[in-house]
Amino acid sequence: MMADENTPHVQAKFFTKQSQYSIPDTPYSVPAAVGTSELSSLINQILKGSDDSVDAGIEFDFLLDGEFLRVPLDKHLENRGVSSEDIVEIEFVERQPAPKPEDSLLHDDWVSCLQGCKECILSGSYDNTVRIWTTTGAPLLTIPGHSAPVKCVKWLSGDGGPTCRFISGSHDQTILIWEWHREENSVECVHACRGHAGSVDCIAINEERDKFVSGSWDKMLKLWSAAAVAEGDQEEQLEAPTKKQKISKKVQTRVPVLTLSGHTEGISAAEWLSRSEVCTASWDHTLRLWDMEKATQTSQMQGTKVFLDMSYSLLNRQIVTASADRHLRLWDPRTTDGAIVKCTYTSHNGWVSSVSWSPVNQYLFISGSYDTVMKLWDTRSPKAPLYNMSGHEEKILAVDWSIPSLLLSGAADNHLKVFQYNDEKHGT
Amino acid sequence: MSSKSRSKRKPDQFDFVDKGANDSDSSESEESVYSGLEEEPDTSEEDQEQSSNQSDNDSSDNDDDEDITLDDKSGLELSTEQRKELSTASDDELNEINDQRYTGNVKSQNRKQRKQITVKTADRPDEYDYDSSDEEDIRNTVGNIPLEWYREYPHIGYDIEGNRLLKPEKGDQLDEFLSKMDNPNYWRTVTNKMTGQNVVLSKEDLGLIQNLQSSKHPDSMAENYQPWIDFFTHEKMIHPVTNHPQHKRSFIPSKWEKLKVGQMVHALKMGWMKPTKAKTEEEEEENFYMLWKEDEESEITRRYRAHLPAPKMPLPSHAESYNPPPEYLLTKEEEEKWQNMEPEERRMNFLPQKYSSLRLVPAYKRFINEHFERCLDLYLCPRKPKIRMNINPEDLIPKLPKPRDLQPFPTAQAIVYRGHSDIVRTISVDPTGQWLVSGSDDGSVRFWEVSTGRCMKSITMETGSLGNMCIRSVAWNPHPDVSLVAIAMGQTVILVNPGLGDKMVTNNTDNVLHSFSPTEEESTGKKVYADWSSIDTSDKRFENGFRLLLQHPKEVSQVTWHGRGDYFASVMPKGDSMSVLIHQLSRRRSQNPFNKSKGMVQCVLFHPVRPFLFVATQRYVRVYNLLKQELSKKLMTNCKWVSSMAVHSGGDNIIIGSYDCRLSWFDLDVSTKPYQTLRHHKRAVRAVNYHKKYPLFASASDDGTVIVCHGMVYNDLLKNPLIVPVKILKGHAISHDLGVLDCVFHPSQPWCSKAQCERRAVCCLLQNKNGFAQQLTDDRPTKLETLVSVGKTIYKCMSSRLSKAAHTLQANDTPASSVNNCWYRQEYGTCLSDNLGSVSHVTAVNNDVYPKNCLIQQATSTKCISDALSEVDKYGCEAKVVDAMKKLGDSPSSADDLKEAYCRASVTAYECVLSVVKYCGVTEGPRTIEGLTQFSVVRTACGAFLPVTTTASPVNIGPIGDLFPKSFFSSSTNNSQVTNVNAALNSGSCQPPRGAVVCVAGSVVLLCVLLL
Repeated sequence: MMADENTPHVQAKFFTKQSQYSIPDTPYSVPAAVGTSELSSLINQILKGSDDSVDAGIEFDFLLDGEFLRVPLDKHLENRGVSSEDIVEIEFVERQPAPKPEDSLLHDDWVSCLQGCKECILSGSYDNTVRIWTTTGAPLLTIPGHSAPVKCVKWLSGDGGPTCRFISGSHDQTILIWEWHREENSVECVHACRGHAGSVDCIAINEERDKFVSGSWDKMLKLWSAAAVAEGDQEEQLEAPTKKQKISKKVQTRVPVLTLSGHTEGISAAEWLSRSEVCTASWDHTLRLWDMEKATQTSQMQGTKVFLDMSYSLLNRQIVTASADRHLRLWDPRTTDGAIVKCTYTSHNGWVSSVSWSPVNQYLFISGSYDTVMKLWDTRSPKAPLYNMSGHEEKILAVDWSIPSLLLSGAADNHLKVFQYNDEKHGT
Repeated sequence: MSSKSRSKRKPDQFDFVDKGANDSDSSESEESVYSGLEEEPDTSEEDQEQSSNQSDNDSSDNDDDEDITLDDKSGLELSTEQRKELSTASDDELNEINDQRYTGNVKSQNRKQRKQITVKTADRPDEYDYDSSDEEDIRNTVGNIPLEWYREYPHIGYDIEGNRLLKPEKGDQLDEFLSKMDNPNYWRTVTNKMTGQNVVLSKEDLGLIQNLQSSKHPDSMAENYQPWIDFFTHEKMIHPVTNHPQHKRSFIPSKWEKLKVGQMVHALKMGWMKPTKAKTEEEEEENFYMLWKEDEESEITRRYRAHLPAPKMPLPSHAESYNPPPEYLLTKEEEEKWQNMEPEERRMNFLPQKYSSLRLVPAYKRFINEHFERCLDLYLCPRKPKIRMNINPEDLIPKLPKPRDLQPFPTAQAIVYRGHSDIVRTISVDPTGQWLVSGSDDGSVRFWEVSTGRCMKSITMETGSLGNMCIRSVAWNPHPDVSLVAIAMGQTVILVNPGLGDKMVTNNTDNVLHSFSPTEEESTGKKVYADWSSIDTSDKRFENGFRLLLQHPKEVSQVTWHGRGDYFASVMPKGDSMSVLIHQLSRRRSQNPFNKSKGMVQCVLFHPVRPFLFVATQRYVRVYNLLKQELSKKLMTNCKWVSSMAVHSGGDNIIIGSYDCRLSWFDLDVSTKPYQTLRHHKRAVRAVNYHKKYPLFASASDDGTVIVCHGMVYNDLLKNPLIVPVKILKGHAISHDLGVLDCVFHPSQPWCSKAQCERRAVCCLLQNKNGFAQQLTDDRPTKLETLVSVGKTIYKCMSSRLSKAAHTLQANDTPASSVNNCWYRQEYGTCLSDNLGSVSHVTAVNNDVYPKNCLIQQATSTKCISDALSEVDKYGCEAKVVDAMKKLGDSPSSADDLKEAYCRASVTAYECVLSVVKYCGVTEGPRTIEGLTQFSVVRTACGAFLPVTTTASPVNIGPIGDLFPKSFFSSSTNNSQVTNVNAALNSGSCQPPRGAVVCVAGSVVLLCVLLL
């Protein structure tokens, strides 16, 4: 410990939920102005003393009352209004590893949307095509089909089987449901969902994978059946926009099961919260909750700025939204009282265009912005993100974290960047 | 010792001496008024006489007995009898000296007797009872002093002869007690402080004291309640009070009155006197008067009260001294100057002069003049109090809310829409807010997705016969069910269906336009103001969205839609009487609402809800009622040249921007003059605009700023609009003295879009050049060398197809004006030609303007290549070069293939580089592998584009000179395309870099770059 008697000291007690790093429950006197790195080395020394097998070079992060220590300890205590006389209880967790740039997938045009699933990455682009890539970066398919830029893609079923299905929505006001035969590496458009009168900006599939909703610029929220066969399907000739037509000519037109109106501006994002509940974010500054069984709007949360994207985590049941005022906001849809914005995350310099929760860690999410930077956030650190991932040279239009080990971002510089993220130790 | 002081002291001493004391005092004081003047001589005389008498009597008996004194006195009286008669005052003075208590009305004859009495006073105290109080203690000569002073002594003073007056015997306390017990008069016995004698108060005295104590009349005999004699009773009596018979004269008419009346009658007859009118009742009733008239000060009294003193003359200064310090004396030059000046101009109206002594100072000649002038000044200049306003300057500033409270408003730049190659003159947003249309001087109209900044569509106007391709104005149809954009270019107004947004709307619009059939009315021979022509579906322009053309006789500067989307107006500033035309879309006809020109029309606008048309000429804005076809209002703008105008969505307020930097807000209900004028801009205001939903308006100016103001219009008619500037948006560069040319608000969000006057392409190129150079300077110290090395790289990469590419580039754009530009373009061209493998594609690309623009503008990053590719793809190139290259990189079959892969990888950015690195094992170390140099070249070429995150790659770039083996060049000179490279290389004063050898063989130019 520091020998200098003049510097103010704070009594601190350390504990952790990670059992491999557990240390004795004795308070330590640490200098008040200590930072994260010093504390980290202190923990390392304690660990080394107790067990020689532990590697000494582990980086830790420290949590006080659920907030990360990012400034010297005394300043943090001062900011939080905590007395430095008492024993401070500090939780330490191993620092999140830095994401590593893994790959960059070049498209012919701006990458507007993307989603990963087990071994494949699906991306939509402004050149009207949808592409399928392997997670290692090999292009599998380029699928023309839309007659206008693709705005959203979602895997309907992508796990393992010989046939995968996915959905794409586009500026041409249609939603196409595709079947991808993996072994033959051929794709087939099975359904064309028609009904929107504006660009289809978002798609959300429910947990049972038999229904999905779509939000559009025409302010409507539509519910569709995602089943292979549904009522009201009609055969239709899909006009081929390019001559590289690989799909079959016969597709079935599908009409919406339900149309919900309420938003006064375009819908930018939609998510299923439960079996019957859907949340939508819109340009009219509101988040609305819809009951799909009753076909009504159940509640509404008023924001102050345009919502550009939204993500819902099944782990912590919270919503994080991306706004045009550079901020990310954390909402809890279960609360009904006034203070529904639980936290605001500010670090971006431009519009935050997209946001995505981690599928395995309830604290982590990523956001992509027009300032070309993708950021990895911890909900417990509202002032600063954990990591900035730069590399794009243009506006980031979409980010995705469907594959736990990969962070994906697509941008207006035609690149889809893949970052490796090793999160084995932090499973919840 | 004045008598006054004594009379004052009297009550203190509680001297119950006499009742006439007051009288005596007053008389004494009367005398003492003039006693002061005569006292001295009299007494001196007296003294002299006394002394003479004394000297006379020196020989006689020295015993001071009373007789002698008496004799003296009497003798004196005798000798000064005459004098005594003349003035008793002197006599009184004498007495006063002798005796304080002497009063003037005591007769001198009694004096002798009195003295005898007083001598015996001590012996016979009872004499006091009957004696008059005047003479009570005249013997004591110590004067009016507190008798406490004699407390120590047995006596209390001296008598007139100087003998001591002994204190009366005073008993001890026992005596006191005894007398208290025994003496029945003890309670009414008081001690005279002057004499120390005990005095027993009489009954009258006691009554007097009691009366005084109970605030009654001191005289106990006075009757307070006298009986009341009621002379005039309230009862009516039969007889008069006085029973005199009436006088005779009361029965005889007065002669004087008769005379007076006669005179008045005569005066009336003669008209000298007018009979007073009988007062009517009304007049009597209206006899008001000022109740508070007394409060109004008359002028005279006010002037007396508020007297303003004359200003004081200034005090003389050092210069006016007779002996001034030498620095105050004027030199000769100064003196001459002083003489030459007008008297009014002189700072001093005298010349300082020095005299050795005050005696030599002459009389001041100008004394009379100066004083006369001063009198004139004081008389002729009215003095008036100047009321200084005691106002806190901060109170004068209007109370404005803080901008923070007025959110939302635009604060920061969010998206830049890049793509135009010349100044963007005009923009417009579609009613749903999803699309933005912009018109530029490069002759293109571009449609953008608002939320991402993506250019969705670009329409390039064909160069008309006039050759003027500037898009002057674009306007999106405000009706949500019509998908049309009006574009003013040259003399034509083009209606374009952009094909964006709802397909149903797009198709409906097309159908409606297509189904139009001219009516009979159209065919009649009315005057045709504008020539309508529709574009056939077979026309090539139809695919671009062109639907209708309106040919105007003069150049059109502005188009604007009516709110319902059927009518639109176009402005031809040079059209004279036809300067404003109103077109109806559904009937395809044009009207000219004005017969006469009222001046050069700047812009027109439709009222959002009512049938009004606003027409702004240079200095006035006229409001026409279109239904009644009359002028309803004329607004005085007070500015020199109106540039732009916007109407509030309520329709009652408009703002006007002018070229003299002003922005004026008009409230049409209130006045034809500006309600408020804002002068925040430093240069001409180019555009103004209101927000449709939020209380915001913005003005764009040539100073490169957009000022956003909060402009709240209240429903309450009594409340004036609140105007607060909230934000200055900066960031636009000024080029050619043009700043921000247009600004519009997003229809639903508080966002502001601005049209920028900027040659974006050039800007981007320059920026990138800098970026590139910066990257390389890390390896090469000097900038020139850097550039040269860059050039080398470029040339190398250009390899065989350089010539064609250069040619392409030359056709591409204006001749390259700078070395950097040239290089950059060459590099880019290299990429293109390298990748496409076919020159024909390049030329195909170049023939179309959009890809060209795309190439130029997007040369900022590697994505330009893929952009180009995708564009080329549209034009029929089937080669997916990127894919091919990737494959090539994935499985290199031979060394040559690998090389080519490197070369190609140089353009497909780091993904390919990564794969190449992977396959070649370069990661182990840069110099271990054959082909390293090529790879390094690749690295160098992509160096600028490699993202920061990948810099972990261990590749070390060696000296650039090592990187260019001859073999590489020789292998790449096998191309025999015929071109003219000279122009491409040298037109922009581009020096062939060191080490480059240009071989000329006939008309064929082969380029070979060799290293020295």
